[in-house]
Amino acid sequence: MRAIIFAIKHFAVHDGDGIRTTVFFKGCPLRCVWCHNPEGLTAKPQVAYYAHKCIGCGECQKKGFATENCLGEARVLYGKDVTVDALLPALLEDRDFYENSGGGVTLSGGECLMQADFCAELLKRLKENGIRTAVDTCGYAERDAFDKVIPYTDIFLYDIKAYDEAIHEKCTLRSNKKILDNLQYLDSLGKNIEIRIPYVPDCNSDQMEKIAIFLSGLKHITKVKILPYHNCAGSKYAALNMTNTLPSRLPCQEELYTARDLIRRITKVEVYF
Amino acid sequence: MKYIKDSDREYITNKYHDASKHWDGHQRFVRNDELFSANGGKEPDDILEGIMGNDALYAKFPHPVRKARALEYVLKNTRISCDERDRFPAINMIDRPLSKTIIKKWRDEVFTEIIPDIEAKRRQLEQHGIVTIWPDYDHSVPVWDRLFSLGFVGILEESEKIRASKERTAEEDSFFEGIKITYEAILAFLDRLYAIATTPKMKNALVSLRHGAPQSFYEALLLSYLYFMISEHIDNLQVRSLSGFDASFYEFYKKDLGNGISEEEIRTDLAYYLLQFTAIGNYWNQPVYFGGEHADGSTVINDLSYLFLDVYDDMNIYNPKIQIKVCESTPKDFLRKALDMIRRGRNSIVFVSDRTIRKAQENTGISSEEARTCNITGCYEYSPQGSYVAGMNYLNMLKPLEYALHGGCDGVTGSFSGMQSPELSYYTTFEKLYEEYKRHLLHGINVTVETVNGFEGYLSKINPLSMLSATFPSCLKKAKDAIGGGGCYNDSVLAFGFLADITDSLMMIRKYVYERKDITLSELVDVLDKNYEGKEILRRKLLEDREKWGNNKERPDAIAVDLVHYITEKLCGRSNSRDGTWNCGFHVARMSYTQGKLTAASANGRRFGEELSKNISASMGQNREGATAAILSATKIDATSFTCDAALDLGLLPVAVKGEDGLEAMYGLLMTFVKRGGHALQINAFDADTLRDAQSYPEKYQDLQVRVCGWNALWNNINKEEQDGFIRQAEALA
Repeated sequence: MRAIIFAIKHFAVHDGDGIRTTVFFKGCPLRCVWCHNPEGLTAKPQVAYYAHKCIGCGECQKKGFATENCLGEARVLYGKDVTVDALLPALLEDRDFYENSGGGVTLSGGECLMQADFCAELLKRLKENGIRTAVDTCGYAERDAFDKVIPYTDIFLYDIKAYDEAIHEKCTLRSNKKILDNLQYLDSLGKNIEIRIPYVPDCNSDQMEKIAIFLSGLKHITKVKILPYHNCAGSKYAALNMTNTLPSRLPCQEELYTARDLIRRITKVEVYF
Repeated sequence: MKYIKDSDREYITNKYHDASKHWDGHQRFVRNDELFSANGGKEPDDILEGIMGNDALYAKFPHPVRKARALEYVLKNTRISCDERDRFPAINMIDRPLSKTIIKKWRDEVFTEIIPDIEAKRRQLEQHGIVTIWPDYDHSVPVWDRLFSLGFVGILEESEKIRASKERTAEEDSFFEGIKITYEAILAFLDRLYAIATTPKMKNALVSLRHGAPQSFYEALLLSYLYFMISEHIDNLQVRSLSGFDASFYEFYKKDLGNGISEEEIRTDLAYYLLQFTAIGNYWNQPVYFGGEHADGSTVINDLSYLFLDVYDDMNIYNPKIQIKVCESTPKDFLRKALDMIRRGRNSIVFVSDRTIRKAQENTGISSEEARTCNITGCYEYSPQGSYVAGMNYLNMLKPLEYALHGGCDGVTGSFSGMQSPELSYYTTFEKLYEEYKRHLLHGINVTVETVNGFEGYLSKINPLSMLSATFPSCLKKAKDAIGGGGCYNDSVLAFGFLADITDSLMMIRKYVYERKDITLSELVDVLDKNYEGKEILRRKLLEDREKWGNNKERPDAIAVDLVHYITEKLCGRSNSRDGTWNCGFHVARMSYTQGKLTAASANGRRFGEELSKNISASMGQNREGATAAILSATKIDATSFTCDAALDLGLLPVAVKGEDGLEAMYGLLMTFVKRGGHALQINAFDADTLRDAQSYPEKYQDLQVRVCGWNALWNNINKEEQDGFIRQAEALA
């Protein structure tokens, strides 16, 4: 079984508990205007070019050049075809760190559940090796995709971007109906869920109260995390020759605190940044 | 700072030098103006002259007696002062007066008359930039618990008792006589201080110390401070630990609380004590350590450990510096407290794995009890209590490669190393070059051992250490000076610098010359000789290649591990000339800058003269696979196969350590490092943008401190070149 991924990040500390290694799967059903991983959107390999990193070695002009050999990492191949067997050793490397920090492996993206069969197999193998697992999802997936990974997933990191369908469609080009349904489904099964809410001024910032009210009806939310919007991904859009859709306004601390307090008050769950 | 009044703080920070003027932390000069003139005493120049005049009276006596008389003379005549704004007296130390007088005379006699050839060799090695060597009077730790339980008086009495217990040779007798004069001089000095003490508290404490052991927390602090000041600044012997503080001071702390002394008063005493060391401002910072385990396996960390961190954190100081012996029993919340300080930039803290250092010591035959109670000294080195480990010997691991590639000559100056190498055409395989490299490395080890063994036997003649020896039970038993083989262990250490640069250079040669054949060896040597002039693209290739040490890559890591193994096999266990053995370590202190300036361009893309790597950490800017990879690489080295240091400098981005997740992640990194058998871990947490801003606007960053190399410095006090090094390090993480 094969999958396409665009990165493996070691020492990921904000993708679930403890020290984690995060695998980023390529391809995403949503098109969030604020997306900070544009290299994860399409399910096909892409080559980015970061001109300022070019060391001028000329290797890329030679016949048979492979992008991964670009020493300055000016040319970066996003989209690597992998097998579970090939992926596993890299994920087990940091096992001691997982043990000492309560961490593990997180599957993220893009949307990892677009490659649910592979994810299920990988998660199963990780569990066999005693590794804690997390699935970071936008929730926009078929029910059976969830069913495949549920037995091997310790916690879902679940994004909620808007409660109003129209707002959701405006910000992500997709309806959120499936997303909210799937979340209720996971909750009904008693899975551990950490909710993540991107806070993007003028896009979804007026949705916090409604999201919180929706969440207050669920039983297994262990934690809510607000992800303050940042615009650091600008250079990636340019390097990938993609249209930069990033909003311009960044959230100020005051509005973030207001949102946190609001969500905390309504959900009665701990809210972090 | 809640424990010290502003006016008091101002007085204390100006007590040792004028805080408004630029201060060179390498100096020990203590101000000598109206602050001191009121209480008599002599001008510094008169003291220096007086020492020699006084010495003439004792010319026929052995060195320990003569040095003790010189110390006595200084303690009688140096200027002293007490002030109500302070809880500790001021002592004018005149920049190590004995070192400028009789010790200098004896040093010159030994090095120029008795062993001139050894001295010539020492200078030559230093000029070549392969080994920097100097006599080590910099790493002493008295047996503090004996000082605390006996006081100066009890130390003297016990020495006299042992002296009288049997017939003594003249040499043995002079050993005890040196102690007697030294400690009597210290007691007389307490009388001088008593006469000018301004507060009843200090007066009472001085009376107590004059007649016996310290009775309270404050009295123990005062004893510690006085011992430190006299040893470090007059007796010409650095005190490289203020003890395992929570173990040594705990009984005093409990006793005070039992006697109704408030915790607030204890905290205040501690704050005034700590500020003395901040104010003295030694460049290398004054060490004090915490933690470890009791014999029953329970943690040493106690209420006092927490109290200390509280006070220290509140003071926002970086000197003294803190070492923590970390075991599995060390309370997590204590470590989290320390880690939280580090991520807030208060990172004058290093973690040392207790299990690793105990095992390393036990491997050499040190008893498990001695290993358990060992001191952490200097930056993160360790040794049993009552031992004297000397180790101011730094070998530049890049030089042997320069020799191998230049027929046995230095790559910068062309001077001959003393051992020839074949023409470059001989190196038809990487293995042949590697073998020749090792041959030169071994030659470097051999000449260092020969040179150091050639003079270490004279150290006790040049600078007999009566004050220290009196605290060592083994010295009293053997009637032998601590630096002349009297310690319970008397090892010598050779520190190997720049493991990363040499590993990466060898790796790049292997890859680009022998495997990819991008360039021939002779072409590469030519490029290096010309400092990459006109070859910037090649340099960038070698620099950017990620197959480097410190990133958990199999091939470079295998080279580094092999080199460490080779070194331990060839050096550890050899005899030194002080009844001890040789050992290796991997600290570089300031050598990454000083030896870096003498080191030719290297095959890892580093230009001539640029900074070299620190300790066992990756080359500058080369930790590109992050913190976990850095730890996985570092812990491939068997740090229990030698009994000195293998410290890892870890750079973390502030974003990675923020919030609760970040703190837990730091704890996870630390415990993984410890459990995987790492030796010492020190952390810098900052991003390149902040540092660039700090370089542009120093006034905004007056209190920004960075972990340099086993000590901290204010950002604004390090030079631009060093600042650039930190920026490169932070850039690599992004």
